This record gives sequence, structure tokens and C-alpha cells, in this order.
Amino acid sequence: MTATDVDDTQGQLASAASSEVIIELNQVNKWFGQFHVLKDIDLVVHRGERIVVCGPSGSGKSTLIRCINRLEEHQQGDIIVDGITLDKNLKNIDHIRSEVGMVFQSFNLFPHLSILENLTLGPIWVRKTPKVEARKLAMEYLERVKIPEQADKFPGQLSGGQQQRVAIARSLCMNPKIMLFDEPTSALDPEMIKEVLDVMVELAETGMTMIVVTHEMGFAKTIADRVIFMDEGDIVEQNEPFEFFNNPQSERTKLFLSQILSH
Amino acid sequence: MSMAKAEKSVTRSAPLTETSFIGWLHKNLFSSWVNAILTFVSLYIIFVVIKSLWIWGVAEAVWVAENRRECFAISKDGACWAGVIIWLENIFYGRYPRDELWRVNLGGLLLILWMAPLWLPRVKDKIFIGLSTVFLYPFLAGYLFAGGDKGIFMQLMVTGAIVCLVGNTVHACIGVFSGGGLPESLLGILGRKDASDANQRNTLLAVLAIAFVLIYALQIGWTVEAVPWTKWGGMFLTLVISGIGITSALPGGIILALGRRSKLPVIRVLSTSFIELFRSVPLITVLFMATTMFPLFMPEGFVLNKLVQVIIAVCLFSACYMAETVRAGLQAIPKGQYEAAHTIGLGYWGMMGLIVMPQALKHMIPNIVGSFIGLLKDTTLVSIIGLFDILGMLRSISQDAPWRGLHKEPLIFGAVLFFIVCFIMSKYSRHLEVKLSAGANR
Repeated sequence: MTATDVDDTQGQLASAASSEVIIELNQVNKWFGQFHVLKDIDLVVHRGERIVVCGPSGSGKSTLIRCINRLEEHQQGDIIVDGITLDKNLKNIDHIRSEVGMVFQSFNLFPHLSILENLTLGPIWVRKTPKVEARKLAMEYLERVKIPEQADKFPGQLSGGQQQRVAIARSLCMNPKIMLFDEPTSALDPEMIKEVLDVMVELAETGMTMIVVTHEMGFAKTIADRVIFMDEGDIVEQNEPFEFFNNPQSERTKLFLSQILSH
Repeated sequence: MSMAKAEKSVTRSAPLTETSFIGWLHKNLFSSWVNAILTFVSLYIIFVVIKSLWIWGVAEAVWVAENRRECFAISKDGACWAGVIIWLENIFYGRYPRDELWRVNLGGLLLILWMAPLWLPRVKDKIFIGLSTVFLYPFLAGYLFAGGDKGIFMQLMVTGAIVCLVGNTVHACIGVFSGGGLPESLLGILGRKDASDANQRNTLLAVLAIAFVLIYALQIGWTVEAVPWTKWGGMFLTLVISGIGITSALPGGIILALGRRSKLPVIRVLSTSFIELFRSVPLITVLFMATTMFPLFMPEGFVLNKLVQVIIAVCLFSACYMAETVRAGLQAIPKGQYEAAHTIGLGYWGMMGLIVMPQALKHMIPNIVGSFIGLLKDTTLVSIIGLFDILGMLRSISQDAPWRGLHKEPLIFGAVLFFIVCFIMSKYSRHLEVKLSAGANR
């Protein structure tokens, strides 16, 4: 890759990061059986910061963000989200999960509920929002992801891109402080990737704290405040995108970048 | 090689072999010599069987006679349906007093009335109607069937059931004719349509309380003669036992299945051993255990009648079978659904009740109905431990002096009855399956 590929910082979004720390990981370790997935991870995320995590498969990047809302349990170290330490306390976990939205690679919409019901479920049952209000809120977010006309359909009737946008809207309906994206475009056909990324860029513009695991390097260049490269359970390198792509420090990063940007 | 077609191909109708009856016959029944011979042989066998059945069961059969001897005198090669016909009331109601049969019939009618709204379009709050059927109807029906003095608990439950039944029915009528519901209409009549939520709720509760007190006062005067359980029998008893078994199987099975998948080792081990214990023992053994060993575990002087013991045994047994069906259904739900439910902040019960169970139950319908059918047939085993359910009644025809030795006809009649009930259940499950999957794939 050459410097001319990424030399424009024009398209980059102005950073919305503040000095307030919203997520903090201290010396986090995690094993799946004997397999050491996360090795002494230290990470500080500020409110409004947008972070892209990349790395080869099996490097632990998905596990990292799944630990942040406790879909996976870490065994050593501390994870502090929005001032609350994640431990065995179920109340804390439920609270944090309702503050942290997550978008999955495989959408995971609820197939037995209509789109509108998918969106209103959380507000009604977790936030105890009155039904009418929840519906209004859901329609607002469907407008934002540009598919209000699909409200009464079922997930199975929508294209992958539409489903993923519904999934994003579903998370936003909970009015989260942080949004986690676990390879949100990896299961999509190429022509649908753009519509999902557009929605994510718009979300970034609102100043949402975002951690995105993705292989979309163009997206990383546009919105990220910081790019993190993980390999074999380590955070190998982190830097602002321009430096990260143009001037990678570690050999592993260079190798990875040359592989994914070679064509 | 390149090619291009200038004109569109003309649409022609399908060849006759695909559409005509003769074509169908040729293709499916007479496609080769072997096939043709097979067709004729099968047709001949069917003909012979049906012909002899017809002669025995209809053409030569005796429909009216005083006793079996008379049957033989009229026709030697025909069925003696007269015995079954004379015993018909016994087959359906056992030895239930003949003057009180209306109570059993009324119980059945009330059940139909109670559940009918579930199948009507435009009726709201079907979940509530369903729940009230499961939790309140049994008390009303129980009192109707058993009669006697009502204790204070029974008074309250019967009142609750009647209030609910009236409410349900009115609610359903309003729903069908105007698409609304009872609560909205009541608020409209009382002029509280625009009041605050709390005010509306209090108004409705007040109406409910008034209705409750009113009906309580009315039902105090209403008593029916006691009918001891020993007089219950026939199809009625079979339906009571299997009905209670079926309605308790699903909730019991869900709880046991969740217990078996629990993260807490104590609950998991308890549920697993309970399920495995009951599943590895035949129902007849469970029934014997219930009637002989159950009293040993009870405190001194605490006597449960045999029917209650049998019903408890059937409930536990069916719940354990259902638990495995439910567990299979739960395993079919992808992990992503659990995770998605977690990420929108739902706790365990919210996740199970709103996301996992509704999907799992849909997958399980064929299996659930399968075990319901199995249970209905299995309850005939109670005739072995001395309850006169339908099978017990059918067999006692041959013990009755005028009809001594009449085995075949009653059992065939029973088989036909069971076939009708089970076939309807299985057809309905098929219909439900199609309807529900249509909902998801619309």
C-alpha cells in the first residue's frame, strides 16, 4: 500500500471525544478452556470516542467487545463501564446491558415479532415506557435508518441490509450510552454494506460512543478516532487512523494491512 | 458458440398425461405390468376387507335386542351393537347419577363457551382468556362435577370463575361485533374514558369488586348434590384425568425443562433426576406407586382419594415427558436470540417468556400434540387399578349378565371413539403449525 491511498484527512469526521472515561479495562484476561483469548488487555475509552477494532480472525476482537456487555465473562482483571464494575452482581449486569447497545454479525432479530415489535420490546419491558410512546420512538428510529415503511413486516421478509439497520434501530431504541458493533457488515452482500455503513456514519455524527469490530477499512478511515489492531489476544497497536494506516509501527500490523489492502 | 432468440416462446398447455384423470391413473397406478398387478391385488384385498366388515358391522348387524342371546337368534354372523347402544350412557358417563347428567354436560358446554373466544377473530387479550381457562375453569367444573358443600376457598374460586366466565363472554361479544373490549366499553359507559391511567384502573377494579361481591352473594344459595368420585366413569372420567394431565403438562414441563437447563447445580440435578426417574418407569408402575405408596408419605389421618392420587401421578408423569419435548424445542433456538435478548437488557424471565419460549413452542407443536394424544390413550391404564374409565366401562359390558361375553363390539366402538378424538387433535395441530409458520414467513 502507498501513502496516496489514505492521504486525505478531508473526509474524516471531527472527533467528539471528551475527557470523561466511559469504559476502562485493566489487565483483563480471558480463557476459553485452556485457550488464552485475551491477554492483559488495557483499554480506556472516552465518552463520544469512536474506535475501530481490527485484526485477523481468532485474534480476540469479538471476545473483547462481548466482555464489555458481559456476553462473555472475563476471568481476571477489571472492566468498568459507565462507573460500574462488572462482577457477578446480576443487577449491575442487567443495568449495563440496557446502557450498552450491541449489533451482531447475524442481526439476531426476533423472527416471531414484527419489526415494530422488535423495536418496542426493550423500551416497553425493560424501560417501562408506555406502549404509545414506545411506538412513536420506534418509528422515529426507523425513519433514521430509512425503513419506516417496513414497520409491520417480519424480519424474514427483509433483506440482510434492512435487517441489520433494524437491528441498529432496535439497539438505539434503548437510548444506549455506548454502541458495540460485532462485524456488522460481514454477513451482507456487497451492495448492502453501504446502506448499513451510511447509517453507522450518521450515528457517529451524533456523537455516540462506538466500538466497531470490522474489516471495512474505508469506514475506519472516515469515522474512527482510534484504530486498534489485535492479534492473538494482544492489543498490538493503536493509533489515530491516518498514522495507523500510513505509518504502522509493528511488523504484525504491517503484515495484516498488506494482506487486507492488497486488493 | 453464440445464439440469440428473436421471438418469445409461445406458452402451451401441459400434456394430457399431466392433467387428465386417465393420465394420472396411467402414470401412478399402471405405469408398468408389475405396477398394474400390484394395483389390482391391492384393490382386491381392500374390497374383501371392506365387504366382510360391511356384512359383519352393518348389513347383518343387530341394533335392537334385549340381550346377547336375542342377538344370536336374530343374526349369527352380524355384530351385536344392541349391547353397546344400551350401555351408551354408561360408556360416556360411568355410573354418574342419571338425574345429574346435566351437570357433566353443562361442564363441557361451559368449557366450550370459555374457550370459544380463543378461536374468534378480533377478540383481544386472548392470553388472559387462555390463562383463566387453565386456572379458574377447573374449580367451577370441579364443583359442578363433585358437588356437595362448598368450603370458603371453593366459594371464592367458584365466584372468581363465574365472574371471569361472564366477563370473558361479554368481552368476546364486544370484540367480535365492534373490535373493542370490555374494559374500554365499561370506561365509556361510566364516562371515564379520558381519566388518568390510575383513575381508569381503579374504576375497573371497583367494577370487578362489585361484580365479585354480587356473584358471591348469588352463588351462596347455589348448591348441587354431592356425587362421590366412585360414581364417575366412562369417557367423562377419561376426559377429566387426561384433561387435567394435559393442562398441567405444559406449565410443569416448561418449569422442569428450565430447571434442567439451569446454571444452578442443585436445581439442575433435582430436575434432571426427577425427569429421568419418571421417564424410566412405565406409567402403570407410577400409578400403582401413587395409589399404594403415596399414602405412606402423607401425614397420619390425611387421606387422599384414589382419583386425586391417580391425577397427581398422571400430572407428574406427563410433565416429565413434556419437559423433554420442551428441552428439545429450547435447544433449537439459536444462541444469538439469547444474546440479543440480553443486549436489550431483558432479564432471564423476560428473555424466556418473550423471546425464547414463543419461538420454541412453535417448533414443538407437533411433538406437544403427539404427547397429548399419547397421554389421552395412556390414561386408559387407570382401568387396571380399578377406576372405571372408558376402557373399564367397555370391558365391564362383557361382565353384565345379559351381555356376558360381548367383547368385540364394545372394544371396536371404543377404538372408533379414540380414533375420532385423536385424529381431530392431530389435524388441528397440523392446522396450527401451518397457521403459525405462515405468520413468520408472511
